[in-house]
Amino acid sequence: MNDIIVRSITRIVIPFVMLYGIYIVLHGHISPGGGFSGGALVGSSLILYTLVFGVDKARKKFSHRVSEIAESGGILLYLFVGALGIILSGSFLSNQSAGFPMGELGSLLSGGVIPILMIVIGIKVASTMISLFHILIEEEK
Amino acid sequence: MELLKDVLDHINFIGAVALFVIGLYTVVTHSNLIKRILGINIMGTAIFFFFIAVGNVLEGAPPLIDPDGNSEVVFINPLPSVLILTGIVVVVSITVYSLSLVVRIYETYGTIDQKEIAAIQKGEDYSD
Amino acid sequence: MIEQLPIVNLLLLLLTALVIPLFKKKNFKVTLSLNFAVLLIVWSISVYLLYYVNTEGAFYYRFGNYHPMIGLELLIDPFSTLITFFIMTMVLLIFVYSTSDASDGIHQREYGRYYILMFILLFSMYGIIYTNDLFNKYVFMEILSITTCSIISIKRKKQNYAAAFRYVMLNEIGSLSYLFGVALLYMVTGFTNIELVGQQLETVWQTHPTNIIIAIGFMIVGLGLKAAIFPFHIWLPDAHASAPSSSSAILSAVVVKVYLMVFVKILFRVYGIDILDALNIPSMIMMVGAVGVVMGSFFAIAQNDVKRMLGYSSVAQIGYIVIGIGLASYVGLSVAIFHVFSHGMMKTVLFLSVGAVIYQRKTRLITSFNGIGYLMPISMGAFFIAAIGMIGIPLTSGFISKFNLGIAALEGGSGVYIIVLIASGILNAIYYLPIIIAAFLRDNPEKQTVLSKDKVPILMLAPIVIISLFIVGIGLFPNGLMTLIEQAVNTFKV
Repeated sequence: MNDIIVRSITRIVIPFVMLYGIYIVLHGHISPGGGFSGGALVGSSLILYTLVFGVDKARKKFSHRVSEIAESGGILLYLFVGALGIILSGSFLSNQSAGFPMGELGSLLSGGVIPILMIVIGIKVASTMISLFHILIEEEK
Repeated sequence: MELLKDVLDHINFIGAVALFVIGLYTVVTHSNLIKRILGINIMGTAIFFFFIAVGNVLEGAPPLIDPDGNSEVVFINPLPSVLILTGIVVVVSITVYSLSLVVRIYETYGTIDQKEIAAIQKGEDYSD
Repeated sequence: MIEQLPIVNLLLLLLTALVIPLFKKKNFKVTLSLNFAVLLIVWSISVYLLYYVNTEGAFYYRFGNYHPMIGLELLIDPFSTLITFFIMTMVLLIFVYSTSDASDGIHQREYGRYYILMFILLFSMYGIIYTNDLFNKYVFMEILSITTCSIISIKRKKQNYAAAFRYVMLNEIGSLSYLFGVALLYMVTGFTNIELVGQQLETVWQTHPTNIIIAIGFMIVGLGLKAAIFPFHIWLPDAHASAPSSSSAILSAVVVKVYLMVFVKILFRVYGIDILDALNIPSMIMMVGAVGVVMGSFFAIAQNDVKRMLGYSSVAQIGYIVIGIGLASYVGLSVAIFHVFSHGMMKTVLFLSVGAVIYQRKTRLITSFNGIGYLMPISMGAFFIAAIGMIGIPLTSGFISKFNLGIAALEGGSGVYIIVLIASGILNAIYYLPIIIAAFLRDNPEKQTVLSKDKVPILMLAPIVIISLFIVGIGLFPNGLMTLIEQAVNTFKV
């Protein structure tokens, strides 16, 4: 879009939206939300960037290669954490019985393996949203 | 009066079922493809609303433990919210898939109205 | 170590689907051999689990070692291992066929995508059969629905997209109805685990009957939409029309059966025979199945396109399985599962041999089959064996399932269904025999009257021959399979 008001406001607003999304992802084990909603917020901020500045500039910032690595790396990390649960305790995705440190109630570094899984899910949901949006937009060309 | 009191007590469940029927009606009767996808979304949202209404406890607090606070609080059931998070992601992915199919249909047929597509499709060929 | 084998199965299938894009730059044969190796490993693990569960006993696999009231669990018992063994055998042979057929008509850069979709499809089918939790079944059912839809519409043709859209809409209404049923059951019992819900429903049935009746209605309609039971079968013939032959075989022989097995699990493990008898549901299901058998055959007679005809024939055969389920007895359920196996094999042979003919002739009209028996004797010979199996002539497995279904109906007191079976045998003959007669007794355009070997790759012919030998073999010696099936049906309280 060529409107100067929209461009300036978007440049100011996008970092705050991303920060809020990352906050929701990191606090998934303490407050409502978690990976899915936080990832959707980060993805929406990238979609906003694409809508205002055009597909070509957005493609340069978030290319096909980055989304491939994010998606495949995300799943592999999730399965690796689950397999760690099998090796340590005998069941897929075990948390407390596998001996991961639980921490104290209510602090940021607690809950064993849950924060790692939330971060992985957040990255994956954000990259899925932005790559699907790019594919649907590019069909018109 | 009894009937009105019953309806008002269970207004959440009645609202969820009404939304489900509205969504089903949209999918079945409208011929525009995008409206059908919206109908599926409305149906999904109605079912998630029903799940949340099941998990509600009257005068309950949100299910967050305060480590220094009172430990005798009545919480609402946290399990349905977790199930719904997964369900929302599933419905979103189905919506995205259907939307990409609609984009392809528009490219090949030039219209997104089911009746016009059926009229174009009458001359089908059997080659492979 | 033995207890980790189910999760090893699931992880192997998912990891292969993730690893395939890495081999994009290499020769495609490396990808195919890797896929075949993984399928063979998963097949041998499934066979070993089948042997282990039948000799040692069933076991549970709990995720995260949580109690089943709050966690997820997988149930490995004779029923689930038998069905996964069936799925894997069929898909292994269809995979061998598809390595040479899928390259015909699909774009070069989409070969790898076809196999990624096939592996995710297998992963979700294994997940549906193993899991013991109602909501988890919904999630896997949605994954199966998307991947099946993609695997059918992978060729970029005009009529594909509208058929795929209708498929997605109808399947979505089905899944959401099933989910509504799960929500109603959760409201009354407070659990989503199948065994806990089954136990609770026996006591709750007296106090809250309305919820349970509505939940049964929604679940039967939802699963009926997905399993192509008669009034809800509309999407099936369109979906077969322009799909590659291997995906048609996977859809009609394996995917639809998985939904029927979910139907059996819900009816007999969650609700139990007491609630079903009180609502008179088994007789309704039998009537619906019988109508499906007759109407499916009627629609099949009127078709010009050979794949749509096979699609309507699937609808009719699924009617048989539904009659078997509706008998709600030990014998009826065993016959239904035997027909799942037998129809799976026969429909696979039919689709694969028709696919070989289409590979040669490039058209799907039935009139193109004139005289093709001389040019392609192996494919038409296999088609002949599968077709007489469908009609129900002795020496094939189709005869055994029809005969036992008639006996089970007579024992159950509903002898009138034998008339339906005989009538449908005649109707099946009306639309299968003309193809065979045309293939061997009419003149072909090349005017050839001497048998010559098929001009299709050997990898396409080998699975067709192997499965036809299985059809005749199980027709002659059904006892081994029947013992396994009886041990599986023993886990249901019928």
